[in-house]
Amino acid sequence: MVKRKISGKIYYFGFTVIPVLLYTFFYVYSVINGVRYSFTDWDGISMTFEFIGLKNYRSLLQNPNFWGSLKTTVFYSILLVAGVVILALLLAISLNSLKRFRTLIKSVFFVPAMIGGITIALIWDQLFYRVVPLVGQALGIGWLSQSVLMTGTTALPAVVFVHIWQAVALPTVIFIAGLQQIPDEQYESAKIDGATMFQRFRYITFPYLVPTLTVNLVLMVKQGFTSFDFAFALTGGGPVRATEVIGILIYNDAFKNMRFGMANAEACILFVVVAAFSLTQLKLTSKGGVRE
Amino acid sequence: MKIKKEGIGWRIARDLLLLCGLVLILFPLFLVLINSFKSLEEAGRNFFALPSSFRLDNFRELFENNNYWVFVKNSLIISGVSVALILLLVPSVSYSIARNYTKKYYKGIYFYLLMGLFIPSQVIMLPVTKLMTNLNLLNRQGLILLYAAFSLTQGVFLFVNYIRGLPFEIEESAYMDGCSVFQTYTRIVLPLVKPMIATLLIMDLLWIWNDFMLPLLILNRSQEIWTLPLFQYNFKTEYSFDYTMAFTAYLMSMLPMLIVYCLGQKHIIKGLTAGSVKG
Repeated sequence: MVKRKISGKIYYFGFTVIPVLLYTFFYVYSVINGVRYSFTDWDGISMTFEFIGLKNYRSLLQNPNFWGSLKTTVFYSILLVAGVVILALLLAISLNSLKRFRTLIKSVFFVPAMIGGITIALIWDQLFYRVVPLVGQALGIGWLSQSVLMTGTTALPAVVFVHIWQAVALPTVIFIAGLQQIPDEQYESAKIDGATMFQRFRYITFPYLVPTLTVNLVLMVKQGFTSFDFAFALTGGGPVRATEVIGILIYNDAFKNMRFGMANAEACILFVVVAAFSLTQLKLTSKGGVRE
Repeated sequence: MKIKKEGIGWRIARDLLLLCGLVLILFPLFLVLINSFKSLEEAGRNFFALPSSFRLDNFRELFENNNYWVFVKNSLIISGVSVALILLLVPSVSYSIARNYTKKYYKGIYFYLLMGLFIPSQVIMLPVTKLMTNLNLLNRQGLILLYAAFSLTQGVFLFVNYIRGLPFEIEESAYMDGCSVFQTYTRIVLPLVKPMIATLLIMDLLWIWNDFMLPLLILNRSQEIWTLPLFQYNFKTEYSFDYTMAFTAYLMSMLPMLIVYCLGQKHIIKGLTAGSVKG
């Protein structure tokens, strides 16, 4: 018995060895290196580099391009989160109330989640060039008749639009899962009591949706702050930095502008912002709503 | 939501919304499909018309280009091996953690692995590229190791919660009957966590097959190790004039996942939902 207990312990321990090593070496070690590089003047190629303390951070705080990129990222995230959450909620309520073809229509709405971001971006790149201007001309809308990706004011919303096109699928089915947990009797009795549609949404549907809303918010905020593929493939950050989200700024500084140390400092600042945001969000949303 | 009789206005709005959504999703995919059969001249004449004939030249050209099959092979190998590795590692380490949760070491590694939830991918992308360069791992093997390492956080989070929710009695009686921990794991626990395994499989397969950033960082240097997403991206920069050919390439990259989706859409939607609700 004692021998078996010991061998059991060995199995338990054995199961953890490879994952912990992999994670430590490729993930944690890289994070530590990233922080270390952020205190250097390394260009990413030379054999040697110097530690320069907080100089990268100090010059970043005075760099308008960095602040611009941070602002673009926040704006991108707000558009993405608002667009996805509102649209997903509307779609979920609509789909859930369908009586016929519900499964079929739901599965069509989920198709974009199957396609890679880069494929979607490249397809929309063609559509923005060949189709959207025609639609704009037909409707007589000036800004839509030009290439929206080439115009400073419309490029960012256009990129976010493509991101929403793909990203709305998953939150929609998550909301539907939440909606299906609401017992029918609650609606029945509310109707008997004469509650209006809005009141039923406000007092029955919404409290049940709070947990799924939290999930969707966390999911989308993280996607917004770390977005890369769509802007990279659609605009490459242009025109004139209009879509240069922080992921692209970091990539360009590190691999094109030979400011590797600086790029790591940018990433570390993003890290602090995202971590602070995630913690606050976890605290704020851990209470309230009906539990699953 | 139940519709009252007076909800007709709402019903029309709802149907209109769903219809617009369907058009917005299906029309772009339809354009990709029809134009992949057209020659450049024909697409130039009318982008929206159905192809005049079932012209397969684009497909032939794509398939006869030997490189295309290299990219397909790379994508298959990287996705297949990574996911297999993930399915080998994640459930077993999660099982250890879940059944020893009171012990300091296991609880410690649980929170250690969960740290990754707070770290944005941008923090990793630069140092990991340097690390892989130094290790001479800017290749498929290196990328597979990265996927295995980076999948742990979310996978372990999902599995530990799931296993802790399972009743311990079945395992205990198996253990009493003389099964070792390893046998209990393979015979009792693995069958019980099948739904979670399906979720993990779908989530990670979709992520790795479609991923762009890590291949861009690790594999972009030489063409013979490109994956399909890298090929599509580089196709844009090299042959942007030949856009019907590009559509054919996009179509062929989407097709495998769309076929998988058609076969198991119910499980896929359920699996992905479960993955994100708990993750």
